Amino acid sequence: MRHASSTRLIWTLLGLTFAAIAVFLWSLAAGAVRIPITTIINTLFDLDGPKQGFIINKSRLPRSLLAFCTGSSLALSGAIVQALLRNPLASPKIIGINSGAALGVLLTFIFAPTLDLNWLPVVAACGGILAAAAIFSVAEFAPVSPARLALVGIAIGMACDAAVDFILATSELYEVSAPLVWMTGSLWSRGWAHLNAVWPLLVGLSAITLLYSYRLDLIRLGTAQATSLGLNVRRERLALLALATLLAAISVSVVGVLGFVGLMAPHIARQMVGGTHRGLLPVAMLVGAILAMVADAAGRALFAPLEVSAGILTAMFGAPFFVFLLLSSFPSPIQ
Amino acid sequence: MSIDLKSIQSGYDGFKLKDVSLQIARDSLTVLIGPNGCGKSTLLKTISRELHPRGGRVLIDSKDVTQQRSKMVARQISLLPQHPVVPPGITVEQLVGYGRAPYQNLLGLRSREDRLRVEAALEIVDLSPLKDKLVSALSGGQRQRAFVAMCIAQDTPYVLFDEPTSFLDIRYQYEVLDLMATLHEQGKTVVAVLHDITQAARYATDLVVMKDAQVCAVGKPTDIITEDMLSAVYGIDARVYADPVTGTPAVSAL
Repeated sequence: MRHASSTRLIWTLLGLTFAAIAVFLWSLAAGAVRIPITTIINTLFDLDGPKQGFIINKSRLPRSLLAFCTGSSLALSGAIVQALLRNPLASPKIIGINSGAALGVLLTFIFAPTLDLNWLPVVAACGGILAAAAIFSVAEFAPVSPARLALVGIAIGMACDAAVDFILATSELYEVSAPLVWMTGSLWSRGWAHLNAVWPLLVGLSAITLLYSYRLDLIRLGTAQATSLGLNVRRERLALLALATLLAAISVSVVGVLGFVGLMAPHIARQMVGGTHRGLLPVAMLVGAILAMVADAAGRALFAPLEVSAGILTAMFGAPFFVFLLLSSFPSPIQ
Repeated sequence: MSIDLKSIQSGYDGFKLKDVSLQIARDSLTVLIGPNGCGKSTLLKTISRELHPRGGRVLIDSKDVTQQRSKMVARQISLLPQHPVVPPGITVEQLVGYGRAPYQNLLGLRSREDRLRVEAALEIVDLSPLKDKLVSALSGGQRQRAFVAMCIAQDTPYVLFDEPTSFLDIRYQYEVLDLMATLHEQGKTVVAVLHDITQAARYATDLVVMKDAQVCAVGKPTDIITEDMLSAVYGIDARVYADPVTGTPAVSAL
């Protein structure tokens, strides 16, 4: 079994890597201007023959890379949150991290529109951390079950959403049109500046998270069991929460609320390679990256020259998935 | 060699153990009994470090558990929790493998000894043929055995069982109790919380009776289980007779 499962993991990772490369190339081709694959390869590797330097280098390449980074980060964040709350329906969005980050970024758009782009991830992270801190201070000072913790998270997320709605409703239309597009989870007009602002952070945080995979396995067994296995649950939970918050908040800062990637990717990964996080995390990362790249490119290509936000697309396909989850993870009403 | 509790005060809001002191001897099979809310699970959770004592100390083989690295304590005491959490997508073998965590580094890489211990544990609980099955697909009794196997793989001199028979039908109750006895025979010190007095009397070498957040009696089952004790602790009129199978005290309420 050990061998069978590691073989399966390796093949899954290989398959997903090829799929990710294929989707990546397709995402460069798709859009209002369709670009043939030979032209893309010529451009990427600077070969002779027809090229499309401007569209690819200036627009689609950074966007696709950004979709890759943020998709995989949101997937990781979702996997952590699901393990911490021991709840398959949890995701960064559900415990309020996304909404907190959204509120932070929106406030910045309104009150400091000239702020350098490099600060955007910092601002979003602050918003997300504040929301997460509020949620987990409840857990620290009034110990509650993971289910109640999720409910507190939903409540705090709603409060942030209400604040976001209030700002949008009371602002002049021209002030909020840009944040509005951002809020729906769009990669429109995202460029190298955004990518460079976030990728080193996301790669670093992802690497650290992978080192936590075994501890996630143990924490998933519940506080009593994990403690008796020698884990310092309180400390590790805090560290993991910080990782989940930062990964999600930084991603949200550049692509907006890319709904459902953080929920879906870990589930798909679990179906593919089982529940041990050593396999689950890397597979979820690739799945998340693929989902985000597909959503972005499809949103660009479907109704070209109009763009549909990637967040809208993932939510559209995510919602039925969510219902399916609800139905299949609670087979009987008595549990 | 023993677990020593020195004037323990631990609990939740509105409930606290009242300076409980108790010695649990090495090589005993000690069962904690008492009415609902008497604090027996709280006491066990304090030993397993799920609850931190607000006062008092827990010593294992004369060493304070809070003064040692968590992993070191995990090589001394293992726990079958009251409500084991079944993680999704985990096989029986993987679950039992988590019992080796106290001997592994943070990445959880398995050594040859880890693999042998896991195999042996699966053998003891008779789950080897099901090792590649998902834990979530097992029956209640099989699940409980898988979690016991995790404790066995943890290879500790002390094993705690927190209400191991709840939610199991009578066949699986005795299956788990027999496993508990097997571990005791193999030289482990077992501490369990049980509700059924007759079962407790049958399996325990030592009984601890608790009431109102205090220990009110400690001793051998035949000395402890009396009609007076049942009336004083549980508030019931009951008859005590010798179990026709084992000769240990059995209880029938009037």
